Amino acid sequence: MNGTRRRRTAWRVLLVGTLGFFVVVCAFADSPSATAVLSNSEAAVGETVQLQIRVTGARSADAPEKIAVDGLQIYRTGTSQHFEMNNFNVTSSVIYDYTILAMKAGTFKIPPQTIRLGGNAVHTPELTLNVADSPGRSSSSRSNRDAQPESANQLVFAELVVPKKVAFVGEMVPAEIRLGFDPRAHPELADGPEIAGQGFTTQKLQQAQQNLETINGRTYDVITFKTAIAATRAGRFEIGPVKAKARVSVPRRQTTQRSRSRPFDLFNLDDPFSDPFFADPFGRLAERREVEMESEPATFDVKPLPPDAPPNFSGAVGNFAVTTEAKPKRVQVGDPITVTSTVSGRGNFDRVNAPALEDDQGWHKYPSSSKFKQDDEVGISGAKTFETVISPNEKKQALPPLVFSYFDPVKEKYVTLRSDATPISVEGGAAPAPAVVASQPGAATLATAAASAKPSPKPQDILYQLTERPKAAQSFTPLYAQPLFWTAQFVPLFALLGLISWKATQARRENREAQRIAALQHEAAELMRKLRRGDSSPQEYFSQASRAVRVKTALARNIDPNAVDAETAATAFDLDENERTQLRRLFERSDELRYSGAHNGAETISPESRREVLDLLESLRT
Amino acid sequence: MKPRKLIVNLCCAITYSFLIPSVFAQSDAQFAKANQEYADRNFQEAIDDYDQLVRSGQWSANLFYDLGNAYFRAGDFGHAILNYERALALDRHHPEADANLRIVRDEARALELTPTLVERYLKFANVNQFTIAAAIAIWVAAFCIVALIFARRRSGAAITLSIVSLSIFAGAVFAIYELDNGSNGRALAIVTGMNVQARVATADNANSVLALPPGSEIRVLSNRGDWIYAALPNSLRGWVPAKSAEAVRL
Repeated sequence: MNGTRRRRTAWRVLLVGTLGFFVVVCAFADSPSATAVLSNSEAAVGETVQLQIRVTGARSADAPEKIAVDGLQIYRTGTSQHFEMNNFNVTSSVIYDYTILAMKAGTFKIPPQTIRLGGNAVHTPELTLNVADSPGRSSSSRSNRDAQPESANQLVFAELVVPKKVAFVGEMVPAEIRLGFDPRAHPELADGPEIAGQGFTTQKLQQAQQNLETINGRTYDVITFKTAIAATRAGRFEIGPVKAKARVSVPRRQTTQRSRSRPFDLFNLDDPFSDPFFADPFGRLAERREVEMESEPATFDVKPLPPDAPPNFSGAVGNFAVTTEAKPKRVQVGDPITVTSTVSGRGNFDRVNAPALEDDQGWHKYPSSSKFKQDDEVGISGAKTFETVISPNEKKQALPPLVFSYFDPVKEKYVTLRSDATPISVEGGAAPAPAVVASQPGAATLATAAASAKPSPKPQDILYQLTERPKAAQSFTPLYAQPLFWTAQFVPLFALLGLISWKATQARRENREAQRIAALQHEAAELMRKLRRGDSSPQEYFSQASRAVRVKTALARNIDPNAVDAETAATAFDLDENERTQLRRLFERSDELRYSGAHNGAETISPESRREVLDLLESLRT
Repeated sequence: MKPRKLIVNLCCAITYSFLIPSVFAQSDAQFAKANQEYADRNFQEAIDDYDQLVRSGQWSANLFYDLGNAYFRAGDFGHAILNYERALALDRHHPEADANLRIVRDEARALELTPTLVERYLKFANVNQFTIAAAIAIWVAAFCIVALIFARRRSGAAITLSIVSLSIFAGAVFAIYELDNGSNGRALAIVTGMNVQARVATADNANSVLALPPGSEIRVLSNRGDWIYAALPNSLRGWVPAKSAEAVRL
């Protein structure tokens, strides 16, 4: 009960503490402030610009519905509230969205606006908007964009950026895919992006960054994906378009055609955000719509590789460097040597193969394993490490140089890298050629445990057949899983149980004897106490005295007290003649009083006789 | 009911006692025939004859050794190594099987599992010997403890012996576990197929982890359909086709 109460109290303290913490955090939040930004400070006549006033440190404020500026029509189109928590510091802010329609050319100053916060007021800074003279939009173009899907498509865009337009076959060209979403449409990427097209390979797309960008007067949340493209054939071809699907929220489609009848599109500009839905998405029903995003394709000129490729060229295109290392340096013929070679740089690492031995005569080579550590997001820069196990078939003094060839697209020629010969010491005679070699293409690793038994200089043959068989069949079953083993355990088990039984019986017996001795000792002590008290009749006194002698003798000799007579007691305690006589007299007196009745003799016992009997009894010690 | 059961059991025992020598006589003849086939260099026939004996459960280290020799002569190094390993599993001190295994491994360039440090230290005895040691130790400890419980005075020697015996028992159980689950334990299997690749997934086109020459050792960790997930040499792990490997312990 106490524990439950303590737990409840602890929870309450925790809850109160947490609430208190948040109250304190809120109390120490920054004092209210107001900012105002234009989505674009340049516009043309007839275009719209978004104005956003953000009041930080307030949950509600009183902002104007309309801002009066000559030559501009500024109407509030939405309000939203934001809460942010940074390092337990909660900040609330109210955002007021205004749409500005430029009615005429010129430089316009949007005056500071006073935002009332209860008893306080904050002021926005003054803003400047430059409006260039340009023809306004025709009413026909606006009416074409009235259709809902077009409005939805305005909320997103896709872009493929390929900075390099000319490359060689296999050359890795970095590329970027940019997907833009209007954040007010609560976008969600549903599918993709994918780069359509043939004749090239792409690295796995990596999402690099996410930024807020203003494009053509609109703010977009732009997600950038990075990849690299490598052409597989020469020629001119198109990469893309990039396709993706996104889900966005748009106001529910109206059944009737609206032109100027749309009450919230104040300027009849078919801006999907002129709808109050975007200010208060929960105020009315929204429609989630899947929109397809498609970029413009990028053109790409691909040049073929020169024809004079080195023999060990595997298709690597880029710029690389090679380091090699071999271990151990001292081996016997047939022993494995692990050669570690690292190809680092920038290029198409998927086509980079392990550097090869320049002269592999006298060497047996096993398939290499490789691992790649990339230095960038898309894997065109990094280091690929190969481990190759080779074993010498004959005496050697050096590991032959390793060669690696690649095509350098900057120099536009093939480059062959050649390591130095590594000095090693191979001892022993010639090893037999391996009968079975697992040299599978793509095999990753070969164990160094191979050939742990050292090969002999000459081929060996297996030993002879054995013609003898044991009388009984043998079994793979381990002993502990065989029933016979567990049956055999009954032998020591029974022996143990027998030991336990014997020991228990012995202990019980010893216990009984101890109880009997204790009872006799108790009886002897009780008799002596009564005899010393001296308030007994002579019959009782001598009877108790003789009983005390019997009990003491029984304790000394471990016999039945009823079987003790005067002679036995005297012998047991090795009494002298005088004491024997006293003992005999004591027994006779006791018998006499017991069998002849209480009135035979004196009524009381003299103190001298009592003293004599007590002395005799106390002298009975072994 | 009880007397009837006793009579049935007795009859069975008598029948077996007559049948067993007959079975042994038959298998002896089969073994001699297989040896003769081998001597006549009819290795495939010898393999068939030895295999029949293996299937009948008449296992012995010599039988597996001879079968290994027959496979070696037939050029099947994977099965040769498998049968030498089986011979050594039955008799770890089989010198001929040990020698021939080294030769075939060398020829086949088969990969071996690296035993752990603990396994290397525990190699002085096998699982059965550790089992016997554990049994003796636990009984000695039990007797000592009983004696201590019933003794009037605690004997220092009995206490020491109990502790030592229990320690030996614990050590032996640990050794049994390590050896049974180690590189040469119950799960040991030998690659018998050709061109076997351990792969990262249960698909023939999955990336390769390791090329396994015939006769290579693997330790079966789990089975999934036609694939075995196994511990491989070089501390690797991968999926191996189940038909490409056979367990050493039948």
